[in-house]
Amino acid sequence: MKLVKATKSQLVFELGQREKRSLPQILKLYPCVPAAHHVLSKSGRLPDREGNQQLLDEALAEQRAENKKQVQALLADSRRFQHTETGARLSLSPAEVEWLMQVLNDVRVGSWVILGCPDEKPAEVNASNASHFLAMEMAGYYQMQLLQALEGET
Amino acid sequence: MAETATPRIQPGTVQTTEDKPKSTFEPGYMVICWNDPVNFMDYVTHVFQVVFGWSRKKAEFHMLQVHEKGKSVLTRESLEKAEHYVHQLQKYTLHATMERDE
Repeated sequence: MKLVKATKSQLVFELGQREKRSLPQILKLYPCVPAAHHVLSKSGRLPDREGNQQLLDEALAEQRAENKKQVQALLADSRRFQHTETGARLSLSPAEVEWLMQVLNDVRVGSWVILGCPDEKPAEVNASNASHFLAMEMAGYYQMQLLQALEGET
Repeated sequence: MAETATPRIQPGTVQTTEDKPKSTFEPGYMVICWNDPVNFMDYVTHVFQVVFGWSRKKAEFHMLQVHEKGKSVLTRESLEKAEHYVHQLQKYTLHATMERDE
């Protein structure tokens, strides 16, 4: 994934054949972080803790539903996810890059949670956890490409 | 010349800060980011810049505090503002919570 064009309103990335296939696969895993993963407070010493936690859960659920719709729309939009002879071209506004990083990090962190929250690489990568390990690494790779592109612009 | 006013204390009444109910509008809540091995350092720095509007230098300072000390208190706010920031940080899947500042 390579940034090939950058203006104030648009960033264009070129994807190779493998990336053209893998990026949609990674994005289709969204949302990946379990809903119960986020807590408002560790100590729980907040007024109306349950009510506030419920509000946070609802806000995040709404966000996830909206993000999922946007992911599907992005992948279906042939003007923005354009197939080329060498792979694909992805055109995004800076705000969409920011949003896509959130989506990819959800897949990265969610895959890590499924792997059992290991401190480093899982002790053993086997048939049962390889797909989660791959998703975590690939999401991280795309996320960093987007971050570098965005920071090059600011 | 005006005299210096002397505070008058009524015998038998002692007021401590513990007696005061903490208003939800007071900056009595800490927004904390906790370390985890999955979020990239550059990503965490970027999120702090976006969510709080901080300079890169300040964002990096807090990111390193998270990385090296296990957590960083990012800001102290009222209940509602602290909730807002925790929600923003969790949208980016950072490990953030709010705790009462005591």
